[in-house]
Amino acid sequence: MNKIISVAKWEFLEKIKTRAFLISMIVTPVIIIAFAIMPTLLENHETDVTKLVGVVDKSETYFSGLQEKLKEEKLSGDLPRYVLVNLTPDSQATNNGNEDIVKYSDNKVFNDKVNSYLLIKNGGTDSVRLQWRSNSTANYKDIRNFEQAFNEVRIDLKFKKKGIDTSLKKYLSSQIAIQPIKINKEGEDKESDFLTVFFSSFVFIILLMIMIMSSGGMLVRSLLEEKSNRLIEILVSSCTPTQLLTGKILGLSMLNLFQIVIWTVIGIALTGAATISPEIFENIGLDLVYFVLGFIFYTGIFVGLGATATTEQEAQQFNSYISMILILPIVFAISTIQNPNSEIVHILSYFPLTTPSIMLLRLNISPVPLADILTTILILIISIFISIYLSSKIFKIGILSYGKRPTLRELINWIKEK
Amino acid sequence: MLSVKNLTKEYKNVTAVNDISFNVEPGKIFGLLGPNGAGKTTTIRIALNIIRPTSGSVSFEGKPITNEFSNDIGYLPEERGLYKKSKVIDVINYFASLKNLDKNRTADRAKYWLNKLGIENYRVNKIEELSKGNQQKVQFITAIIHDPKLLILDEPFSGFDPINQQLIRETILSFVNSGKVVILSTHQMETAEKLCSDILLLNKGKEVCKGSLSEIKRDFGTNNVKIEFEGNASFLISLPEVNSVDLYGIYAEVHLRRDVKPAEFLRNISDKLLINQFSVIEPTLNKIFIDAINSSNKK
Repeated sequence: MNKIISVAKWEFLEKIKTRAFLISMIVTPVIIIAFAIMPTLLENHETDVTKLVGVVDKSETYFSGLQEKLKEEKLSGDLPRYVLVNLTPDSQATNNGNEDIVKYSDNKVFNDKVNSYLLIKNGGTDSVRLQWRSNSTANYKDIRNFEQAFNEVRIDLKFKKKGIDTSLKKYLSSQIAIQPIKINKEGEDKESDFLTVFFSSFVFIILLMIMIMSSGGMLVRSLLEEKSNRLIEILVSSCTPTQLLTGKILGLSMLNLFQIVIWTVIGIALTGAATISPEIFENIGLDLVYFVLGFIFYTGIFVGLGATATTEQEAQQFNSYISMILILPIVFAISTIQNPNSEIVHILSYFPLTTPSIMLLRLNISPVPLADILTTILILIISIFISIYLSSKIFKIGILSYGKRPTLRELINWIKEK
Repeated sequence: MLSVKNLTKEYKNVTAVNDISFNVEPGKIFGLLGPNGAGKTTTIRIALNIIRPTSGSVSFEGKPITNEFSNDIGYLPEERGLYKKSKVIDVINYFASLKNLDKNRTADRAKYWLNKLGIENYRVNKIEELSKGNQQKVQFITAIIHDPKLLILDEPFSGFDPINQQLIRETILSFVNSGKVVILSTHQMETAEKLCSDILLLNKGKEVCKGSLSEIKRDFGTNNVKIEFEGNASFLISLPEVNSVDLYGIYAEVHLRRDVKPAEFLRNISDKLLINQFSVIEPTLNKIFIDAINSSNKK
């Protein structure tokens, strides 16, 4: 036991001092946060400048209406967001066909007389068509504002024409939305939002992936180093291979737990700043249990297989196998969110390779019966013991084999060897 | 005493070690010799309890080697290398902790050995910042810091300059004199000849010769003389008493037939050559090694 702790301590302290670890510890959350905040930041930092927008409407039906509606769109400091320019009379003056109106107005854009313009075809009829013409990619917000304004103007005009009370219009255009509520036995109703569930669960699954990949790579590389300079022989002449293996897994798990704690602290700090929804931390206790057990289980498998690698290239190859196994739960994750109570999801939560990620999802989507939680945790714990047992068999022989990588049949023989 | 009995290790296609037995007594250095692939590493790994023999046994002081014994073993593998990014003192502490050596003793002994080997100034340097020779000294310390009862050294002198070789040799000898069991595995026959009192020569997993070095030399039964001369000695090879001659300009090593007495031979050639010095020479371990391996390969 002392030796296991010695190995674990060594693996933990030596890895924590490496530059790669420090970088990943800081960079990973920065990237995640950047992705989460970026869209909001970009939207808020839109240039606050009044835009000059042209309107071309041969039927001359909509201009004043549009102007009226869009007056309500203000920038900060009470400046209007849009100033509309009626390009129709000017273009009519050239007194030519449709083609020329468009060409004339396009030139206005190219000469920077207006930022863009709204082209209304077949105005006043039911087959009215709109084009937003601009020499850069259209801003979706502008389009939305103009669409809304135009449609209101169009309906107003129609109502007036038919002599219908325009107050009905409001009734027509108001839509009633369904509010999704997640209920639980304690009677606390919670607004459940697909995105929150998606993120709160996915953050954990993706963290699990990143950690297993990075620490898997770290582990295989350090094993390779120990193998190539025969340090491994000194190590296994000082303690048993199982002690060494267990110590390594323990050290790595501690390292990652430490990382999670740091990240959680950052996460909570951000929640305080209301950047991240607190719902992410709702099931944090159970989430962590599955997370840690899943991590140990996967690492247990990879240590055994990693011991068979004999060159850096093989280790690379090996890492790509790891990622394939890890993608598996992600594939099922989407269908789990859509249908958390389906038969297949239940089966997958009992299959140890997918248990951690499926359970991470299920926990956050719908209440999971206590029996399910206990069984899956038990399955994971048993799987950990089996994976470490088998891995240590392979590890024992693998760490002393140099040169050729073993075939599957040889691996099975290694496991059978006493 | 380390006792190896009828040790055999078979792999799927090869027998790495085939029925070898030997005893290593405390206070003597035991030389485990042989060409590459002779089975030295396999023998060492079995003695270290890293792999299990197909049959046969290894025991120390009458007890079979178990995992508990690992704290009493020191091992210096042939290929050197340590954790390059780690500090000297951290590496030493780690290996000492794996041998269950407590912290106070580790600190004392680390200080002692770092001083003794002249690398006390590199205590907190990273391994990669040290010269190759100094890195090897650190590794040597990790092998002996826990004062092992059994010390297995694989090519301990490779990579050291003559001064440091001297330092390491003295250290090893002090270990032997304090009653430790020491096994030395090497290709350098000169080193083995100077240090080992008992040897086992392996080839292709089998014992070729073993026993005390002086007995082996006697039994090797060469009948060699060294002649320092002036003049032309090329006629020597044509003499009926002579098996072969190694000519080196001013002296020659003559391998006589078994039944020829050196004194008679001297009388026969003294009128044909001006002889400055005539001596009977013992075979070198190098010579024994080459001859024994060649003859065992022919079988």
